[in-house]
Amino acid sequence: MAVSTAIELLFDSVARGLLFALLGAAITLVFGLGNILNIAIGVFAVVAVIATLEFMAVLPNAAVASVAGLAFVGVLGLAVDRTLLEVVYREEGEERILLGIFVTIGLLLFIEGILFAEFQLSYSVPHSVPTVTFGEVTILGSRLAQIGIATVVLIGLFVFLRMTYLGKATRTVFQDETGAALCGINIRWVRSLIFVVSVMLAGLAGILQSFEAAVSAANAFELTAFAIIVSIVGGVRNIRGTIAAGLLLGFVITLGNFFIGAFISKIILFGAAVVVLILRPEEIA
Amino acid sequence: MISIFGDRADARAAIVTITILAIFPLFVVGERTTYQESLFKTFLAFAILAMAINIVFAHTDQLFLFVGALTGISTYITVLLADTLGVTPWITIPVGMAAVASLALVVSYVAARLGMTIIVIAILTLSLQLASQEFFEGARSITGGTTGFAFTGLEVPIIESLLGLPDGFGNYYVLLGILAASFVLYSRMMRSKYGLAFDAIRQDEVAAESVGINVIRYKMIAAFAGAALIGLVGPLYASSEGWVQPSLFTFERIDVLILIMLVLGGLRTMLGPVVGAGAIILINQDLQSTFGQWRTAAYGLLLIFLFLYFREGIVGKLEEVRETETYGNMRDRLSRG
Repeated sequence: MAVSTAIELLFDSVARGLLFALLGAAITLVFGLGNILNIAIGVFAVVAVIATLEFMAVLPNAAVASVAGLAFVGVLGLAVDRTLLEVVYREEGEERILLGIFVTIGLLLFIEGILFAEFQLSYSVPHSVPTVTFGEVTILGSRLAQIGIATVVLIGLFVFLRMTYLGKATRTVFQDETGAALCGINIRWVRSLIFVVSVMLAGLAGILQSFEAAVSAANAFELTAFAIIVSIVGGVRNIRGTIAAGLLLGFVITLGNFFIGAFISKIILFGAAVVVLILRPEEIA
Repeated sequence: MISIFGDRADARAAIVTITILAIFPLFVVGERTTYQESLFKTFLAFAILAMAINIVFAHTDQLFLFVGALTGISTYITVLLADTLGVTPWITIPVGMAAVASLALVVSYVAARLGMTIIVIAILTLSLQLASQEFFEGARSITGGTTGFAFTGLEVPIIESLLGLPDGFGNYYVLLGILAASFVLYSRMMRSKYGLAFDAIRQDEVAAESVGINVIRYKMIAAFAGAALIGLVGPLYASSEGWVQPSLFTFERIDVLILIMLVLGGLRTMLGPVVGAGAIILINQDLQSTFGQWRTAAYGLLLIFLFLYFREGIVGKLEEVRETETYGNMRDRLSRG
């Protein structure tokens, strides 16, 4: 294989991996914190793209519109958290996990349904990063944009979790809810904040994905599936693991697509989740 | 007749339901209402699938989210084997059933052996479902890809000419027979030691194991029963649609719907699945005329509402009402001489 192709594949894999990492992190944050598996996560990604495009009609450029789109998704997430999840959080343990799954499936169907009815097309957010060519290697502008923005955001997420008070409070709740409560941390508030952050991460993943391929409501469930798989392979309560898993699976699916074919590489992806679940089922207990 | 059921009340309820379902369509179905015929058959197919998930999920907490995949696997095996061997699909249905039941047994065994919680089982089976969906679409040489192929091999012209039914409607009565059999199976299972074991397992697996209940074995039995029903219904469901294509067996089309039907009808009740299936099919028709495109959104809201506020379902609610009546009676009876 030519070196130029290898380099292009590398960039593709990393870009894909970072998008997966964003999606996986969205699932891990909420599940690790509140034991809720947000099956509707994919639909927030799609809503972000659509919201951004709607804002572009009134705002000067794509970047500002994207921020507005993400803010919209954040508000939507807050609304969901304060209404639906409020009821789910009242349950404990396995009851809560089960209720969370079904309620978020319902939420997925609901929002997807609205999108099917009102926003049936496929949507793409335009970016203005030029395609770069050196020698025989062509790197699409969309890839560069994806890698650049995702990396910055993920680093930001880490900085937030490690260095800020809220971030540390979040990690404390992750580790030991009762201890955190005893330290005076408002658990419910932290959960709401993290839920909003998680849907915005998903929203960003949607926007970045739309740079290269138009996104529509039909993609929502698949995005959720990818998010869950990345989260599982990485360790469903482990952010660093999730991001590493995202990158790994990005490579798996990109190289798989290139060498074997789209269907088989997706089957490999799902197969990876099955294998991890069989080897480490106590993870999600 | 009554003795084959688990108890008299079940027998009465089942017989009444089957009778209604047997007679009702004869008034509605004419010579040219093929759409309605198909609807009736779909209704029964989904009712049986919902009954299967009732046994597997509602009674033993094994949240199998790959019913679509199982339905598809059974269908493809049945149809393709029949094609290859040149026999009628009726002969190959047992093969499809066996394949699917074995798969379910393996999954159930592995999950129980490794002590997987309900959510792990859910994600595991969801991954299997998604992998199967990719396989059905991708293996174009076997399945015909997204286009699929026509299939009407499971007709019963004998019954049709006997009862003077329109073409293709005989399958309705075949499905009705399977539904009746599933009532018997359910009633016997749940009113016996199996039902008690399932209840114990659901409450506390460790405690159940400690009183001598072989949790793995009972879970596998439930999985087997459910999968056998799924394997049997799969090809009939495809036959009633007339066309076998991957989109018939997706998560959204089967798993989500049967869960909604089961919860709406009533978890852990005999008539819940069929009531839920009927209600959803009716709502579907209603929504199509009034809301059309908003159907999916409405289902989403329905699922949320059901799970948050109405978890006992229709049949559950009716049974609750009936029980309070009975207790009322008891108090009266006790206070009398």
